[in-house]
Amino acid sequence: MAVKAFSPEWASAFKDEVNKSTVYKTAGKGWKWTVGLVVEAEPDKHFAEPKGIVMDLFDGEARDIQVGSAADAQKCDFVITAPYSRWKEVSTGQLDATKGMLQGKLKLKGDLPTIVRYTKASQEMTECTTRIAVEWPDEK
Amino acid sequence: MHDADRGRMARRKVNAGADTALVDYADKEPSAFASMLGGLIEANVKSRPEKESDFARLIAKVGIWVTDIDEGVTLDFKGGRMTVHNGLESQRTITIRADAQTVMSLSNLKIGLFGLPVYYDEVGRGVAGKLLRGKLKIDGMLPNVVTLNAVTRIFSVQ
Repeated sequence: MAVKAFSPEWASAFKDEVNKSTVYKTAGKGWKWTVGLVVEAEPDKHFAEPKGIVMDLFDGEARDIQVGSAADAQKCDFVITAPYSRWKEVSTGQLDATKGMLQGKLKLKGDLPTIVRYTKASQEMTECTTRIAVEWPDEK
Repeated sequence: MHDADRGRMARRKVNAGADTALVDYADKEPSAFASMLGGLIEANVKSRPEKESDFARLIAKVGIWVTDIDEGVTLDFKGGRMTVHNGLESQRTITIRADAQTVMSLSNLKIGLFGLPVYYDEVGRGVAGKLLRGKLKIDGMLPNVVTLNAVTRIFSVQ
Protein backbone atom coordinates (compact mmCIF):
# COMPACT_ATOMS: atom_id res chain seq x y z
CA MET A 1 0.00 0.00 0.00
CA ALA A 2 1.26 3.45 -0.90
CA VAL A 3 2.16 5.91 1.88
CA LYS A 4 1.90 9.68 1.71
CA ALA A 5 5.17 11.35 0.69
CA PHE A 6 7.29 12.47 3.65
CA SER A 7 4.65 11.42 6.18
CA PRO A 8 5.38 9.53 9.43
CA GLU A 9 4.26 6.34 7.60
CA TRP A 10 6.77 7.09 4.84
CA ALA A 11 9.51 7.62 7.47
CA SER A 12 8.68 4.30 9.08
CA ALA A 13 8.72 2.48 5.71
CA PHE A 14 12.03 4.16 4.87
CA LYS A 15 13.55 3.03 8.16
CA ASP A 16 12.40 -0.55 7.50
CA GLU A 17 13.92 -0.50 4.01
CA VAL A 18 17.25 0.84 5.29
CA ASN A 19 17.39 -1.80 8.02
CA LYS A 20 16.55 -4.56 5.52
CA SER A 21 19.46 -3.54 3.30
CA THR A 22 22.58 -5.66 3.73
CA VAL A 23 24.40 -3.25 1.41
CA TYR A 24 23.65 -0.33 3.75
CA LYS A 25 24.57 -2.39 6.80
CA THR A 26 28.07 -2.87 5.36
CA ALA A 27 28.54 0.51 3.68
CA GLY A 28 27.26 2.43 6.69
CA LYS A 29 29.63 0.76 9.19
CA GLY A 30 31.29 3.45 11.29
CA TRP A 31 28.73 6.17 10.51
CA LYS A 32 27.72 7.94 13.74
CA TRP A 33 26.15 11.24 12.73
CA THR A 34 22.60 12.48 12.34
CA VAL A 35 21.33 13.42 8.90
CA GLY A 36 18.55 15.89 8.20
CA LEU A 37 16.70 16.13 4.92
CA VAL A 38 14.95 19.43 4.35
CA VAL A 39 12.08 19.20 1.90
CA GLU A 40 11.29 22.71 0.77
CA ALA A 41 7.69 23.65 0.11
CA GLU A 42 6.31 23.91 -3.40
CA PRO A 43 2.70 25.06 -3.04
CA ASP A 44 2.08 24.72 -6.78
CA LYS A 45 2.85 21.00 -6.39
CA HIS A 46 0.45 20.70 -3.44
CA PHE A 47 3.33 20.54 -0.99
CA ALA A 48 2.51 23.64 1.00
CA GLU A 49 4.76 23.47 4.07
CA PRO A 50 8.45 22.60 4.34
CA LYS A 51 9.25 19.41 6.21
CA GLY A 52 12.30 17.93 7.82
CA ILE A 53 13.31 14.30 7.97
CA VAL A 54 15.57 13.58 10.92
CA MET A 55 17.58 10.40 10.62
CA ASP A 56 19.48 8.85 13.48
CA LEU A 57 21.87 6.55 11.67
CA PHE A 58 24.47 4.59 13.54
CA ASP A 59 27.00 2.03 12.40
CA GLY A 60 25.00 0.64 9.48
CA GLU A 61 21.63 0.84 11.18
CA ALA A 62 18.76 3.34 11.05
CA ARG A 63 17.96 3.72 14.75
CA ASP A 64 15.21 6.22 14.08
CA ILE A 65 13.75 8.21 11.20
CA GLN A 66 11.22 10.90 12.10
CA VAL A 67 9.34 13.57 10.22
CA GLY A 68 9.55 16.99 11.84
CA SER A 69 10.03 20.60 10.95
CA ALA A 70 12.70 21.95 8.62
CA ALA A 71 14.32 23.53 11.69
CA ASP A 72 14.61 20.08 13.32
CA ALA A 73 16.41 18.73 10.26
CA GLN A 74 18.72 21.75 10.10
CA LYS A 75 20.07 20.88 13.56
CA CYS A 76 21.53 17.59 12.31
CA ASP A 77 25.24 17.02 11.69
CA PHE A 78 24.64 16.71 7.96
CA VAL A 79 21.84 18.53 6.19
CA ILE A 80 20.70 17.98 2.63
CA THR A 81 18.23 20.52 1.29
CA ALA A 82 16.16 20.49 -1.88
CA PRO A 83 12.68 21.45 -3.03
CA TYR A 84 9.91 18.85 -2.93
CA SER A 85 10.10 18.06 -6.66
CA ARG A 86 13.85 17.34 -6.49
CA TRP A 87 13.32 14.89 -3.62
CA LYS A 88 10.58 13.30 -5.67
CA GLU A 89 13.07 12.87 -8.55
CA VAL A 90 15.53 11.24 -6.15
CA SER A 91 12.88 8.96 -4.63
CA THR A 92 11.65 7.83 -8.02
CA GLY A 93 15.15 7.12 -9.31
CA GLN A 94 15.12 9.94 -11.86
CA LEU A 95 17.94 11.83 -10.16
CA ASP A 96 21.04 10.18 -8.81
CA ALA A 97 21.81 11.79 -5.45
CA THR A 98 25.57 11.99 -6.12
CA LYS A 99 24.98 13.73 -9.44
CA GLY A 100 22.39 15.96 -7.78
CA MET A 101 24.94 17.10 -5.19
CA LEU A 102 27.64 17.74 -7.78
CA GLN A 103 25.16 19.80 -9.80
CA GLY A 104 23.94 21.72 -6.78
CA LYS A 105 20.42 20.35 -7.16
CA LEU A 106 20.73 18.95 -3.65
CA LYS A 107 22.51 21.30 -1.25
CA LEU A 108 24.73 19.65 1.31
CA LYS A 109 25.91 21.04 4.62
CA GLY A 110 28.38 19.10 6.73
CA ASP A 111 31.90 17.74 6.67
CA LEU A 112 32.57 16.88 3.02
CA PRO A 113 35.32 14.28 3.49
CA THR A 114 33.03 12.32 5.82
CA ILE A 115 30.07 12.29 3.45
CA VAL A 116 32.31 11.41 0.49
CA ARG A 117 33.73 8.50 2.49
CA TYR A 118 30.20 7.15 2.77
CA THR A 119 29.14 7.69 -0.86
CA LYS A 120 28.10 4.04 -1.21
CA ALA A 121 25.97 4.19 1.93
CA SER A 122 24.20 7.33 0.76
CA GLN A 123 23.60 5.79 -2.66
CA GLU A 124 22.05 2.76 -1.01
CA MET A 125 19.84 4.99 1.14
CA THR A 126 18.62 6.61 -2.06
CA GLU A 127 17.93 3.14 -3.46
CA CYS A 128 15.91 2.37 -0.32
CA THR A 129 13.62 5.35 -0.95
CA THR A 130 12.87 4.08 -4.47
CA ARG A 131 11.52 0.81 -3.00
CA ILE A 132 8.73 2.57 -1.13
CA ALA A 133 5.37 2.92 -2.84
CA VAL A 134 4.55 6.60 -2.45
CA GLU A 135 1.42 8.66 -2.92
CA TRP A 136 2.69 12.00 -4.28
CA PRO A 137 0.59 15.10 -3.54
CA ASP A 138 1.00 16.47 -7.06
CA GLU A 139 -0.24 13.24 -8.64
CA LYS A 140 -3.63 13.14 -6.98
CA MET B 1 51.30 31.60 -21.76
CA HIS B 2 52.88 28.29 -20.90
CA ASP B 3 53.62 27.83 -17.25
CA ALA B 4 57.07 26.31 -17.08
CA ASP B 5 56.57 25.33 -13.44
CA ARG B 6 53.58 23.11 -14.06
CA GLY B 7 53.98 19.54 -12.93
CA ARG B 8 56.97 20.34 -10.72
CA MET B 9 57.03 19.95 -6.99
CA ALA B 10 57.76 23.07 -4.96
CA ARG B 11 58.84 23.04 -1.35
CA ARG B 12 56.81 25.39 0.78
CA LYS B 13 55.18 24.96 4.15
CA VAL B 14 51.40 25.11 4.06
CA ASN B 15 49.90 27.42 6.63
CA ALA B 16 46.89 25.20 7.14
CA GLY B 17 45.42 26.88 10.20
CA ALA B 18 41.67 26.67 10.52
CA ASP B 19 41.21 30.31 9.50
CA THR B 20 43.57 30.33 6.53
CA ALA B 21 41.90 29.78 3.19
CA LEU B 22 44.00 27.45 1.08
CA VAL B 23 41.54 27.39 -1.77
CA ASP B 24 40.13 30.24 -3.81
CA TYR B 25 37.77 30.33 -6.74
CA ALA B 26 38.51 31.97 -10.07
CA ASP B 27 34.85 32.53 -10.88
CA LYS B 28 32.54 34.94 -9.11
CA GLU B 29 29.95 32.17 -8.93
CA PRO B 30 31.72 28.84 -8.53
CA SER B 31 29.68 25.90 -9.77
CA ALA B 32 28.36 23.43 -7.20
CA PHE B 33 30.95 20.94 -8.40
CA ALA B 34 33.76 23.51 -8.05
CA SER B 35 32.62 24.40 -4.53
CA MET B 36 32.35 20.75 -3.57
CA LEU B 37 35.82 19.79 -4.81
CA GLY B 38 37.41 22.94 -3.41
CA GLY B 39 35.70 22.38 -0.06
CA LEU B 40 36.65 18.71 -0.02
CA ILE B 41 40.33 19.36 -0.69
CA GLU B 42 40.53 22.25 1.76
CA ALA B 43 38.90 20.20 4.53
CA ASN B 44 41.16 17.25 3.74
CA VAL B 45 44.38 19.26 3.84
CA LYS B 46 43.39 21.11 7.01
CA SER B 47 42.30 18.02 8.91
CA ARG B 48 44.93 15.55 7.73
CA PRO B 49 48.54 16.66 8.31
CA GLU B 50 49.88 13.89 6.08
CA LYS B 51 48.28 15.65 3.09
CA GLU B 52 49.92 18.99 3.80
CA SER B 53 53.30 18.17 2.30
CA ASP B 54 51.76 17.00 -0.98
CA PHE B 55 49.61 20.10 -1.14
CA ALA B 56 52.58 22.36 -0.34
CA ARG B 57 54.72 20.82 -3.06
CA LEU B 58 52.27 20.26 -5.86
CA ILE B 59 52.31 22.58 -8.85
CA ALA B 60 49.99 21.29 -11.54
CA LYS B 61 46.79 22.08 -13.39
CA VAL B 62 44.36 19.20 -13.03
CA GLY B 63 41.14 19.06 -15.02
CA ILE B 64 38.22 16.90 -13.91
CA TRP B 65 35.33 16.43 -16.31
CA VAL B 66 32.21 14.62 -15.11
CA THR B 67 30.81 12.98 -18.21
CA ASP B 68 27.24 12.36 -17.03
CA ILE B 69 26.59 15.91 -15.86
CA ASP B 70 28.66 17.61 -18.57
CA GLU B 71 30.48 19.75 -16.05
CA GLY B 72 34.07 20.09 -15.09
CA VAL B 73 36.58 22.04 -13.09
CA THR B 74 40.25 22.83 -13.23
CA LEU B 75 42.22 22.58 -10.01
CA ASP B 76 45.24 24.83 -10.28
CA PHE B 77 47.66 23.70 -7.57
CA LYS B 78 50.22 26.41 -6.88
CA GLY B 79 52.43 24.92 -4.15
CA GLY B 80 50.44 25.49 -0.98
CA ARG B 81 47.44 27.19 -2.55
CA MET B 82 44.84 26.13 -5.07
CA THR B 83 42.55 28.02 -7.39
CA VAL B 84 39.42 26.27 -8.64
CA HIS B 85 38.09 27.25 -12.05
CA ASN B 86 34.68 26.39 -13.41
CA GLY B 87 35.22 24.32 -16.57
CA LEU B 88 38.42 23.12 -18.18
CA GLU B 89 41.23 25.65 -18.47
CA SER B 90 43.96 25.34 -21.08
CA GLN B 91 47.44 23.84 -20.49
CA ARG B 92 46.36 21.19 -18.04
CA THR B 93 48.92 18.73 -16.71
CA ILE B 94 46.36 15.95 -16.27
CA THR B 95 42.69 15.66 -17.22
CA ILE B 96 40.44 13.08 -15.61
CA ARG B 97 37.19 12.22 -17.39
CA ALA B 98 34.65 9.94 -15.72
CA ASP B 99 31.07 9.76 -14.53
CA ALA B 100 30.04 11.21 -11.16
CA GLN B 101 30.18 7.89 -9.34
CA THR B 102 33.71 7.17 -10.57
CA VAL B 103 34.93 10.64 -9.61
CA MET B 104 33.63 9.98 -6.10
CA SER B 105 35.33 6.56 -6.14
CA LEU B 106 38.65 8.30 -6.85
CA SER B 107 38.33 10.15 -3.58
CA ASN B 108 37.68 6.84 -1.84
CA LEU B 109 40.90 5.21 -3.01
CA LYS B 110 42.96 4.07 -0.05
CA ILE B 111 46.60 5.13 0.13
CA GLY B 112 49.00 2.30 0.82
CA LEU B 113 52.68 1.59 1.00
CA PHE B 114 55.01 4.39 -0.20
CA GLY B 115 51.99 6.68 -0.55
CA LEU B 116 50.70 4.81 -3.58
CA PRO B 117 46.97 4.39 -4.22
CA VAL B 118 45.67 0.92 -3.42
CA TYR B 119 44.18 -0.78 -6.47
CA TYR B 120 43.64 -4.25 -5.01
CA ASP B 121 40.69 -3.60 -2.68
CA GLU B 122 37.06 -3.28 -3.84
CA VAL B 123 37.21 0.46 -4.59
CA GLY B 124 40.65 0.21 -6.21
CA ARG B 125 39.63 -2.72 -8.41
CA GLY B 126 36.55 -0.79 -9.49
CA VAL B 127 38.66 2.24 -10.46
CA ALA B 128 41.27 0.11 -12.25
CA GLY B 129 38.52 -1.78 -14.11
CA LYS B 130 36.98 1.48 -15.30
CA LEU B 131 40.39 2.68 -16.46
CA LEU B 132 40.87 -0.51 -18.45
CA ARG B 133 37.38 -0.36 -19.95
CA GLY B 134 37.83 3.30 -20.94
CA LYS B 135 35.12 4.54 -18.58
CA LEU B 136 37.77 6.50 -16.71
CA LYS B 137 40.14 8.40 -18.95
CA ILE B 138 43.20 10.21 -17.68
CA ASP B 139 44.91 12.38 -20.30
CA GLY B 140 48.56 12.99 -19.51
CA MET B 141 48.73 10.09 -17.06
CA LEU B 142 51.91 8.37 -18.23
CA PRO B 143 54.33 11.31 -18.12
CA ASN B 144 52.77 12.58 -14.88
CA VAL B 145 52.31 9.50 -12.69
CA VAL B 146 54.03 11.17 -9.72
CA THR B 147 51.72 14.18 -10.01
CA LEU B 148 48.68 11.92 -10.39
CA ASN B 149 49.61 10.00 -7.24
CA ALA B 150 50.05 13.27 -5.32
CA VAL B 151 46.64 14.50 -6.52
CA THR B 152 45.08 11.17 -5.52
CA ARG B 153 46.58 11.43 -2.04
CA ILE B 154 45.27 14.99 -1.60
CA PHE B 155 41.88 13.99 -2.98
CA SER B 156 41.51 10.79 -0.96
CA VAL B 157 39.27 10.90 2.10
CA GLN B 158 40.36 7.44 3.25
